[in-house]
Amino acid sequence: MSTTETAVRPRSGTSESGPVSKPKSNGLPAFGFLAPFLVLYLAFIIGPGLYGLLMSFFDTSLVQPGLGTFAGFGNYAEAFQSSDFWAGLWHTVWFTILTTPPLIILAFVFALLADRAKHGRWFFRLAFFMPYILPSAVVALIWIFLYTPELGLLDTGLAKLGMTAPNWLGDPNWAMPSLAITTIWWTLGFNFVLYLAGLQDIPRDLYEASAMDGATPWQQIWKITVPLLGRTTTLVVVLQVIASLKVFDQMYIMTQGGPNFATRSVLQYIYDEGFTNFRTGYAAAASMLFFVVILAVSAVWFGIVRRQQKEA
Amino acid sequence: MSSHLAWFRRQRHSLAMTSYLSRRALLRGVVGLGAGATLAGCSTPVLSGLGTGGDAAGSLAYWNLFGGGDGVRMTQMIDAYRAANPAIDLKAVTLAWGNPYYTKLSLATLGGKPPDMAVAHLTRAKTLVAADLLEELTTEDLAGVGISPDQLDQTAWKAGLVDGKAYAVPLDTHPFVMFYNTDICEKAGLLDSSGALTPLDSPEKFTEALRKAKEVTKAYGGVVAITADTSTPWRMFQSWYGQLGGEVLADEGRQVVIDDAKATQVLSFMQSLTTQGLVPPTLDYAGSVAAFATGQAGFYFQGEWEISTFQTAKTPFSMTLFPNLYGGGKYAVQADSHTLVIPKQHRPDPERKKRALGLIKSFLDQSKTWAEGGHVPAWLPFRDSAEFKALTPQSNYAAAAEGAVYDPDGWYSGSGSNFEIVTGSNIATVLNGQQQPAVALAQMRSALTNLARTASPI
Amino acid sequence: MAVDAPERPTAVRADIARADSRTKIFNRVCAGVLIAFALIWLIPIAWALDTAFKPNEETTATRWLIDNPTFDAFGRVLRDTDILRWFGSSLIIATITALGVVIVASMAGFALSRMRFKYRNVVFWLVLAGIMIPGQVLIVPQFREMDSLGILNTFWAVSAPQIPTAIAVFIFKQFFDGLPRELDEVARVDGAGFWRIYRGVIMPLSRPAISAVVIFAFVQSWNDLLWPLLVLSNPDIMTIPVGLATVQGSFGIRYADVMASAVLGAIPLVAVFLLFQKNIVEGIAGTGLKG
Repeated sequence: MSTTETAVRPRSGTSESGPVSKPKSNGLPAFGFLAPFLVLYLAFIIGPGLYGLLMSFFDTSLVQPGLGTFAGFGNYAEAFQSSDFWAGLWHTVWFTILTTPPLIILAFVFALLADRAKHGRWFFRLAFFMPYILPSAVVALIWIFLYTPELGLLDTGLAKLGMTAPNWLGDPNWAMPSLAITTIWWTLGFNFVLYLAGLQDIPRDLYEASAMDGATPWQQIWKITVPLLGRTTTLVVVLQVIASLKVFDQMYIMTQGGPNFATRSVLQYIYDEGFTNFRTGYAAAASMLFFVVILAVSAVWFGIVRRQQKEA
Repeated sequence: MSSHLAWFRRQRHSLAMTSYLSRRALLRGVVGLGAGATLAGCSTPVLSGLGTGGDAAGSLAYWNLFGGGDGVRMTQMIDAYRAANPAIDLKAVTLAWGNPYYTKLSLATLGGKPPDMAVAHLTRAKTLVAADLLEELTTEDLAGVGISPDQLDQTAWKAGLVDGKAYAVPLDTHPFVMFYNTDICEKAGLLDSSGALTPLDSPEKFTEALRKAKEVTKAYGGVVAITADTSTPWRMFQSWYGQLGGEVLADEGRQVVIDDAKATQVLSFMQSLTTQGLVPPTLDYAGSVAAFATGQAGFYFQGEWEISTFQTAKTPFSMTLFPNLYGGGKYAVQADSHTLVIPKQHRPDPERKKRALGLIKSFLDQSKTWAEGGHVPAWLPFRDSAEFKALTPQSNYAAAAEGAVYDPDGWYSGSGSNFEIVTGSNIATVLNGQQQPAVALAQMRSALTNLARTASPI
Repeated sequence: MAVDAPERPTAVRADIARADSRTKIFNRVCAGVLIAFALIWLIPIAWALDTAFKPNEETTATRWLIDNPTFDAFGRVLRDTDILRWFGSSLIIATITALGVVIVASMAGFALSRMRFKYRNVVFWLVLAGIMIPGQVLIVPQFREMDSLGILNTFWAVSAPQIPTAIAVFIFKQFFDGLPRELDEVARVDGAGFWRIYRGVIMPLSRPAISAVVIFAFVQSWNDLLWPLLVLSNPDIMTIPVGLATVQGSFGIRYADVMASAVLGAIPLVAVFLLFQKNIVEGIAGTGLKG
């Protein structure tokens, strides 16, 4: 399971809130409670992390025992010079650019509209959120079928409107936007739900008071809703960006990174190098570089949250 | 502070909400689902997943990557084997073609759960051998089930040897071939008195034939998959380049030895076909099949496996060798072979190996079924038989097996590999007019040089 | 304009009425737009269902009407693929993972929330650091680790790296921090040790956190592709996503069969979702955790 994203509500002084009652230390029992987590955590997260770092300095092979020959910074140098690595990174960023704004704006608008609806919220939740719980493979099978050239629902639908559909997944220029459309359909529900929750936290009396003052619904949205959802939006943006950076499933199943590598994400590049080409050491180095990118994004988020907390 | 208020409100809300969902209800649901799934499935895999159960005795797991017509015929062969060996529980799995298949096969073998027998392209089997993932097949092993190496196509057999040792039994050779629409070619005056296509043995004759076919179809002369396809442009290039005697890699893939003059000659010729409008530059695989099946083109270039598609579509067609434009007396055509291999087990079991070899022999014995799908059988007792000679159009191009040019050796080479993707994608840009031959060639060389310089991981 | 004082209230009332009707129209338009989008969102699923009930021959004619509706495609998928086994694997793995996450993370969260010990801050920051590590960047070393442990192709190898989920510890700690300490005090006066406080006082009060974490871990694990794709290469024990993504079942262009397998692959979680819609949505919004 991925562990980066969190919507843990910032509470000031969380880490300082120690026990109040007895100043006595509970060292032994405490580590008893912590042990199951810590053992697994060290064995399967921290340990492999360090091992991966070590491996990235060797020409380790998947099919050979041991670390292999020492490569120094060779793997990192290769990754920096590899046009495929940069292409993978760019495809990932391109995917992020294509998916993030629609996923945030549409989710916000839909949540706003749903929040005004008096009836049938369950229906909207069903419609928008259900795709989110489908496995990626199911989503991919459905959309490959929708995108089928000529026979697919999209092509025939557009033909009825007198338009010619592009070769969705087959055209290198269209493949990524097509994957983005699929992804927007698939994951919008998550942001929708976060925004709905955020909207419910806005006190109703604010709206009532402003209505008394003669504010139009439009003004209410811009003057009340948008500013008060600032924190939710920060959260949604960061979760979205990080999730998009880690994209793998859609490409792997729908285009296998093609056509002509046009949709190979950085994670799939790592997968291909490490497990198809057996170049484990190099793949570990590429993973480390990718980790740095994700850390940077997370750091920016922490910075923003800090500032928001101070302002609040 | 409002954030705290919100947080507490949420908690209260959640507390109320859990009254719907008691832990017990959730557990009940989970257990119910579990019982259903476990009852429906078999318990052996569950045990194996938990790390305790072994494979059932008398079972035989077999992996392949065949879809379409090949998949149908493979199913027939599997059914025949099952009928003849009722005591053996043959479990056949079809996985997605190309890199994902080989990745899965490698990971399964590393993880100690490989199938007992698997299909691998000859060019990929060699990489698997280098990674020490395949069992050697000794002469005694093969003799034990009645196979002798001299009963197999020698080009394929020798191409599959690594340091003189055998690891793969070729089932077929599948060359790049030329399909032609007999009605269109007849109207275009391209058939001789016996109804066979007159030989197209020079670039001029080939171009002329496409032009005449185009006059008849009013659409295209020939069609080939270009868009979103890397293998097909590579196969076409390699066939003609091979006829000129060109090589791409040497020294187990550590050197790039593209002959610029020869490669440019072939690429320019390929581009001339699309710039003259004889071949459409934008069709993908399915589009090219559809265009030929519906009579929009007189010629179609692809591996012979598409035979069943056109038979089903009732297209009036025949097939022959991919044209020998440059080879003169020495024919060459890009090809690969499907081979049958036995992955290494962590705990080898002679009985299982014997069963796997038996399955290999059974498939060789069913070469007739397999040849109906267009592949040139590697099993000579069948290929030399009158029965095969009577099988047309398959026997028209059986000679391709001897002229077969396999993808060059190298850890990154082989069918559906990075090598084909790198070369094929650049060749495709020449075919569709996006890049000039010289530019594409330079890109191809630089990408291949990168791969060649990379230390082999095996 | 000369406006008499007594008329004023009526004017205001009219204003409000006008504003009211404007709001009403606005709300109607909003609802209309939203319904339109919701319907668009449902099309892919509806189309998959529609196709799954067609005979294969009817699928190439792109229309909603089915001349001969049939369950045949479902029958073929159930007969010819291992999909039922994949259900079993997914269920076992997701259950092991979800239970593991809850037990391990709640205990750690309890220690961090309720106990005082040396290195508490070190542990806390270690956990916090774990939130920053995306599992995906560890696949390469983790695979080798599972290989050398000899547990590739087992459910354990899939679950093991998913159980130590730092964010779950954080969620539990935060939830426990919100529970009044007087409760523990009362229990302690009665002579209860930490284990009894955890088991008998805190956990029973923490159903919201538990259900949120269970739901989340379960859905995550059920839908995960990359890691089980690497670890499970034996088709007998693949999970649903891995099976659907790698095993073709030689369907080719038999679209009804393909869509039937997609529908079958979706059914378990969709069923759970329909049963617990509200909880799942709230749980996910509350934890805001996502892969």
